[in-house]
Amino acid sequence: MATEYITRMGDGRKVTMTKEEIRADIETGIGEAVDAAEVPELSGDEIDHLLEIVASKEKLVTVEHGKEVVLSLDGGSISIESEHGSGIPCGRINGVVMEERAYCLDVLELAHMDYSYKPVKPLTAVECQTMRQLQEITTTPLLYGAMPNMGLYYTPDGPYENPGDLMKAFKIQEAQDSIEKSAEHLTRDMIWILQKMMKNGGADGANFDTMAAAGDGDFYSALNAIEALRKEYPEMYIEAGMASETVLGIHGELKYDGVNVAGLWPHKQVELVEKAGANVFGPVCNTNTTYSFAWNLARAVTVVKACSENATIPIHVNMGNGVGGIPMFEVPSTDTISRADKAMIEIANVDGI
Amino acid sequence: MDKEQIFAELADSIVSCKKENVLDAVEKAKVELEPSEIIEMGLAPGMSKVGTLFEKGKLFLPHVMMAADAMNAGVDSLKDLMPDNDGESSMGVIVNGTVEGDVHDIGKSIVSTMLQSAGFEVYDVGRDVPIQVFIDKVREVGATMVGLSALMTTTLMGQKDVILKLEEEGLRESVKVMVGGSPATQVWADKIGADCYAENASEAVKKAKELLCA
Repeated sequence: MATEYITRMGDGRKVTMTKEEIRADIETGIGEAVDAAEVPELSGDEIDHLLEIVASKEKLVTVEHGKEVVLSLDGGSISIESEHGSGIPCGRINGVVMEERAYCLDVLELAHMDYSYKPVKPLTAVECQTMRQLQEITTTPLLYGAMPNMGLYYTPDGPYENPGDLMKAFKIQEAQDSIEKSAEHLTRDMIWILQKMMKNGGADGANFDTMAAAGDGDFYSALNAIEALRKEYPEMYIEAGMASETVLGIHGELKYDGVNVAGLWPHKQVELVEKAGANVFGPVCNTNTTYSFAWNLARAVTVVKACSENATIPIHVNMGNGVGGIPMFEVPSTDTISRADKAMIEIANVDGI
Repeated sequence: MDKEQIFAELADSIVSCKKENVLDAVEKAKVELEPSEIIEMGLAPGMSKVGTLFEKGKLFLPHVMMAADAMNAGVDSLKDLMPDNDGESSMGVIVNGTVEGDVHDIGKSIVSTMLQSAGFEVYDVGRDVPIQVFIDKVREVGATMVGLSALMTTTLMGQKDVILKLEEEGLRESVKVMVGGSPATQVWADKIGADCYAENASEAVKKAKELLCA
């Protein structure tokens, strides 16, 4: 009887599989990535290495000496303080300091619990004050981060008619107009907030987290904001991360630098992010909960490797609950996290996590 | 031209997302085919292909809506040739919304749009929807399915609360429940007694067809 290895499904369930079954899932996962993202497949050696990582008998795996990578984060200290995170009773300042001194992160982030640029706008002065306080007691680069989250600009949360409602009524042109107005407004808000954060808060830079969460308009808006900030602050550190693997085409015709931003996969997204002026790009590859961890990781590594190869700026891949091959589970398992991280570093050649 | 070619031409006209192409193709097909064949074997497969292309990021939401609009026009142009009630939507009535406490709207709206495009009668009740609104809407429109979206681990429990209320109100037997949203999984759907879980909008259409049109 063939040896069975402990592994998981995309929803986090523990299962056992033979090496042949794991290899078959790795191969179909790669095939899916090649087909969907139109990227090159992994080589035979890379498949063997991935199999070795997934089927390791060790509970935790890690990289070889010298292959350690930079760790940045998004969400500020929210995952430490909030109830849906660790729920540690501490304020933001303590949370960020913990991230520097206990978790040893290489890039820190200050973020508001609401974590979107729009609700932060009226609180910018308070956010600047907290940024100044934190800059006094930390040494690691400290960014201000939030999500563009363009959905907040649509009714009932914002001033522009909801394109989802307009589309359902076949008012396509009106929907596109609404997206364009929202994108312009969002760009303006992000620039305004981050100008204040740089000038009055002394931030080292900014993180645009979960770009394209509201589709192509959201991504377009973030790219324009990055471009404007780069022009104004040549030394500013800008990290730009995605919400999902592709840019959902809700408008369908928005172009940045002559390229339609809808439907782009990470290896193409990074070209625009570089052009806009970001220093670091955070690609995403989503986990499909109905397939195995091996299938998801192979797919994610294939997509992210193409992105790393096409990038001239550092790639800090998003790794966590439901992304980067890691199963969708509220508290992701360390066995899958460590395997996925190792595969991303050693096969996809990412510069950071 | 044989039947297969006509079906392919009808499907391609839908994928072109242009109303005039669909109307031309339907006009030509009328000579050879029955209206029900035109719809079921030509236009509907075209719409499925549009869904697949949307999922692959080759077509975008405006294209899906243009294709759906063109399909509606094609079906309308056949109405005079169809017996009473033929061609009317009989696929199912779906109430779709995001549970209370969760303001995520976009994914749920795309699911509504794709279900509508596939021929279901869809009532999108929005986001941050109180349980009673789901119940009242299900009763009001005689829904055969309710779609429950949740995008946060903290609001996932709201899906279970709606199912419990449907049971309490004696509606559970008459309505199928579909759950979705990034933290939802098949295991979660099984645990709370939902009828199905859909990973994305295309799968939502597929699962709704399996449950309501079988």
